[in-house]
Amino acid sequence: MDEFKSGFFVGGESCNGRVLIVDDEPDIRKVVRMTLHKAGYEVLEAENGAKAIDTINTGENRLLLDVIICDIRMPKVNGIEAIAYFRHNYPRVPLIVLTGFPDTDMATSLLRQGVVDYLVKPVEGDKLKASVARAMEQRELAHL
Amino acid sequence: MISDLPTSDGARVPSAAPSDTAGHRSDQDGQEGMASVIPTPATRVAIIGAGRGGTALLDLLHQLRTIEMVGITDRNPDAPGLQRARELHVPTYERLADLISNHRVNLVMDLTGDPGMDRILREQTSGETDILSGPASRLLWDLVRHESALQAELLHSEKLAGIGSFAAGIAHDMNNPLQLILGLAENLLDECDIETVHEQARDIVDAVKRTTAICRDLTSYSRRASSQQNSLIAINGKLDEALKIARYAVALQDIDIRKSYQPDIAVKGNPDELLHVFVNLITNAVQAMDHGGTLTLETTEVQGATRVRVSDTGCGISADLIDRIFEPFFTTKPPGKGTGLGLYNIKNVIHHMHGTIEVESHIGRGSTFTITFPREAPTEDRSRPS
Repeated sequence: MDEFKSGFFVGGESCNGRVLIVDDEPDIRKVVRMTLHKAGYEVLEAENGAKAIDTINTGENRLLLDVIICDIRMPKVNGIEAIAYFRHNYPRVPLIVLTGFPDTDMATSLLRQGVVDYLVKPVEGDKLKASVARAMEQRELAHL
Repeated sequence: MISDLPTSDGARVPSAAPSDTAGHRSDQDGQEGMASVIPTPATRVAIIGAGRGGTALLDLLHQLRTIEMVGITDRNPDAPGLQRARELHVPTYERLADLISNHRVNLVMDLTGDPGMDRILREQTSGETDILSGPASRLLWDLVRHESALQAELLHSEKLAGIGSFAAGIAHDMNNPLQLILGLAENLLDECDIETVHEQARDIVDAVKRTTAICRDLTSYSRRASSQQNSLIAINGKLDEALKIARYAVALQDIDIRKSYQPDIAVKGNPDELLHVFVNLITNAVQAMDHGGTLTLETTEVQGATRVRVSDTGCGISADLIDRIFEPFFTTKPPGKGTGLGLYNIKNVIHHMHGTIEVESHIGRGSTFTITFPREAPTEDRSRPS
């Protein structure tokens, strides 16, 4: 995994990358942040699709956001709409879906749209970190 | 004689009659409309025997607008059908002669099981009055019980079919706390700070409790309706309970929920069936609001009657469909998404509670379903001599 590190610095500490978690449940954002923070990622949070779009369009996030982890069932702008926006406007930022509802048709459709992974809660920390690492690899390749 | 009885209210009676149990009102292209009313002559019926058979028949016939219940009598003043009749404002009589004389009775229905009753009735009635007794009335009693069992089965089947649509909501609400539990438990494996350990252990306990509550709600909702037909039901609490269940079937995130409850109002009926009615109405209302909107739940007492309103600001129901929405197997949902029995069952449950249900709808502005329950019947019996 080390070979895919972005290796930029945040607050004087080395950071593996910047990840945005989009989920309406604060508890989910909390555990994802906890898991990824331990693995050396900086984690930003958004509680719905609209907030996520605001976040990615804010300041340096346009350039420095590495991975987006997105729920599907959310208020305001839901996951499907948000993912469509990200794919259209930020095609180089890899997306991981983290949803509570396993839906094969939706998973197939989203993976065809270029989503890196379709994860169904509950997901073990190692699996989540591996998925983020794969997304980071894709991000690195996009920069080449 | 049996052929004179209507087979169902829906077959003979226009559904939007003013005192019907399912009325419709819609507005499309600025034109408001209501179904036309066709007058039907009523059959004047007297019931002899107020035991279980007489009570069930009274409940059934009371729902039919083509029947005018002249009264009911029983030798036993404590017979359950007499109390039921008082609740329904049907006159009760101590003496048989008082009931079947001077009331222009078209049909006497003998549910006493007394083999001598047929002769007594024929002596006391004119040739113009039909009498249903003996094996014919037993057959009728069997049919009433069968119909009642079928209705209960249909309601339960439709409820179970609807629970299938809860899958997404249940998965969402179960898997989110499970994700929290898993994430925290993994963290605790190498967490050394005792305060953090305690805090996260508490979070795990809370998450387990939330998950358990979901299972409890759904187990309770999916069970067969209890036989408590005449329980006192606190309406506001039942609406809140229904809202909690409905959120498994439909996402409420983009719905503004407004409640206008009159405190401390109650109706008599089957609490499980009424919960099902409210869950269905709320689910339909939210499904009508594809892009969000306002769901309004309102309870009031109006002129002694209890009124419940469920309103949405959704797409509305077109005038050509509104007359059909209470029909069995009628649905506007895609195949596999609706049984077409929801509103039909709602109408039947409200019928059994002696209430009415009406819908008013405006295309593009939304729909309001209004259920009106009659006030509690007075306890005194004016037909009995003091």
